[in-house]
Amino acid sequence: MSLVEISNLNAWYGDKHVLKNINLEIPRNIIFAIMGPSGCGKSTLLRAMNRLLELNPNAKVSGQVKIDGIDVYSDKIDITWVRRQFGMVFQIPNPFPHLSIYDNVAIGPRMNGLVKNKSELDQLVKWALEKAYLWDEVKNDLKKPASMLSGGQQQRLCIARALALKPKIILMDEPTANLDPVAASKIEELMLELKEDYTIVIVTHNPQQAARVSDYVAFLYMGELIEVGETSQVFTRPVHKLTERYVVGKIG
Amino acid sequence: MNRRRLEEKIMLGVISLLAIISAIPIFAIIINIYSEGLKYVSLSFLIDFPPPPISGGAGGIGPALVGSLILIGLATVIGGAIGFFTGLYLSEYSHTKLAQYTQMFLQIMVEFPTIIIGLFAYSVLVAPLKRFNAFAGAFALSIVIIPYIALNVREAYKSIPYTLKEAAFSLGLSYPKVYLRVLLSTAKRGVLTALLIGMAKAGGETAPLLLTILGTTFTYFEGLDQPINAIPLLIYNFALSPYERWHQVAWGASAVLLTIILTIFIISRLVVKEVKI
Amino acid sequence: MKSGKIFQISLILFIVTTLTIVVGIVISLINSSYPIFLRHGFGFISRSVWNPIEEDYGILPPLLGTLITSAIAISIATPLAISLAIFASEIIPSRLRSFVNNVSDLMASLPSVIYGLWGLYVLAPILHKYVMLPLHNYLGFIPLFSVKPTPTNLFTAGVLLSIMIIPFASSIIREAYTAIPYNLKEAAYSLGMTRWEVVKTMLGYIRSAIFAGVFLALGRAMGETMAVAMVVGNIMNIPKSIFDMGYTISSLIANQFPNAEAYKYMVPALYGGALILFTVGLIINLIGLHLVRRVMVKS
Repeated sequence: MSLVEISNLNAWYGDKHVLKNINLEIPRNIIFAIMGPSGCGKSTLLRAMNRLLELNPNAKVSGQVKIDGIDVYSDKIDITWVRRQFGMVFQIPNPFPHLSIYDNVAIGPRMNGLVKNKSELDQLVKWALEKAYLWDEVKNDLKKPASMLSGGQQQRLCIARALALKPKIILMDEPTANLDPVAASKIEELMLELKEDYTIVIVTHNPQQAARVSDYVAFLYMGELIEVGETSQVFTRPVHKLTERYVVGKIG
Repeated sequence: MNRRRLEEKIMLGVISLLAIISAIPIFAIIINIYSEGLKYVSLSFLIDFPPPPISGGAGGIGPALVGSLILIGLATVIGGAIGFFTGLYLSEYSHTKLAQYTQMFLQIMVEFPTIIIGLFAYSVLVAPLKRFNAFAGAFALSIVIIPYIALNVREAYKSIPYTLKEAAFSLGLSYPKVYLRVLLSTAKRGVLTALLIGMAKAGGETAPLLLTILGTTFTYFEGLDQPINAIPLLIYNFALSPYERWHQVAWGASAVLLTIILTIFIISRLVVKEVKI
Repeated sequence: MKSGKIFQISLILFIVTTLTIVVGIVISLINSSYPIFLRHGFGFISRSVWNPIEEDYGILPPLLGTLITSAIAISIATPLAISLAIFASEIIPSRLRSFVNNVSDLMASLPSVIYGLWGLYVLAPILHKYVMLPLHNYLGFIPLFSVKPTPTNLFTAGVLLSIMIIPFASSIIREAYTAIPYNLKEAAYSLGMTRWEVVKTMLGYIRSAIFAGVFLALGRAMGETMAVAMVVGNIMNIPKSIFDMGYTISSLIANQFPNAEAYKYMVPALYGGALILFTVGLIINLIGLHLVRRVMVKS
């Protein structure tokens, strides 16, 4: 069974139909890229998975998203449980600026009541920061505000914040779009490392990035899923004309 | 060209002069209040009963100070709670018709003459009980400060970047935890400023108290259902009295009130100023 | 039920509380004042009489007093408020800006009873000696200045009100002025305008904000109670000059309410005055808020 199964997923903003009948399966322990020009609905697709889309009062969703066979849109399900299964990293690094580095990682497990005591929390925070390749850089500054970190560090802190909840999958919404090339390549290395234990879905408008990091790739265009397959396949022998034009940079 | 340059000089000069003139009163008021009032202020002035109008010792404003503190505290709690949650709704559900209408109502409410709010408190809490009482005063003050607090809390929450809200929800936190813990600590400066503005308003408002708390008692606090005094009301009553001795108490009380207001004002500025991130 | 819905509904309880209060205020005003309108009809507004013994009330004098004092206040405050706004946002160096704005905000947050005390014991005697008496002595033939002034009267109240509303009007104008897009100013300078000409042009651009500030300040002036009650003289007669002692509606309520309970119709009469004040103030404030919204849409 695939980790995530999306079937007949539709989404609207008001009257605007932004996701059109999406069917998609995301296997385990791979990096899955969703690429497409801006405005094609890829961020919306990401937010439809962890139901963050519902923060937008104009958004409507229909269809199914299953994680490990459980439908996240089922009436019986607790929405906070859903969101804990999906860790999320955003386009703009968004640590809570008024909290310390430590508290940024600790806030999720602490408020969700996932740890029993302080030392367990300390261990969890350390583990998450190590996983995010940030521990060595911040271990002496844990009490300092997160806002003192550089953009790339802040983004890795956000990855640690997501990891600390022990999610089943990590959603990344253009995680390198606002970083300099060096910081961006660090994040990409980190993703490849994390793939050992996690499934990662990355949204990107940059086909080269999808080609570099992903194992599977989906091409989204104007709310429709045009093509999906193994990355090597899609980039070398695209089935669809639109995909071909996109990967060579003629759309975008 | 020369004529235009001359005109520029003259007009900018006139504007500066008018601006300076309009700022003179505030400095005059502060200087006058302190130079006239401070000489009567001492520890016993803050504790004692007011003096008899003609003979007698120095006296003080003890009951009025106690009354003011009680009224400010109660109004900040009641008005603060209603105002805070109202403002939170206005910010987070700003797309709803309910929020839009409420916001319009609040903007009008800010401009209500406060004496009208006093009349309302009189109608619902004084007339039925047939007794002036402290709670009616606190109730009226709460109403006065609700719109100030609600509109400022709305601003505070509105200023939180959307991406932080998303981050908080993505951690799987419930609505109350997101808004009342994570985001509240992000917006705490704005919320604190809102409460301080409310406190300053509650501390200085007089008109509604005239119709609710009576204010002539020579006793400290005797219960929320009993009359009480407050510093601004004492200033009004004593300043208009025919007795020189009471005028002096009014000046002294004004120095105390001004100090309270200035303190709250300065704290609220420091709160805002503290490095923004 | 979803937790988001529960949260929203709990917040709505507070919204309902707030709205209930607003509606309650209006209802209580109408409910407590209708006996006086039944008794006197339009005569309650058009006549000048305050006779508790005969239970006969007509509030024309305080109504006029409210209009006169706020008219004086607005005519003094408008040029000063505009000047203060320009001074703070255009003339002084930017590092002094926050100081001037703080002073202006402090003025707006001083309790009105402190303005009243200062007005009564400091401002009134100064105005009396250096402004009102000379005006009366030299220009007494003009009806406006014909009455021999006492220190407390409609004019004193108007001046004190102007001092109180300047920072308020000024901050609305200041906000609009600082929100002017920079390229608009650049364009003006590129046409070779002097600084004053640029300011003049920009004032034209934000004129609805200026009107908004003036209207909202006018609403404040009309509703202000304590400071006015301390310096207006509190006498019931039709003013013949701005140096007459008088009443405003709010100062009438403040002054008369403590003994109103003794008479059957005085309480309704005071509520009736409040209802009129509320209605006039509401109209003025709605105009002001409408203008503010227009400015915000533009910028």
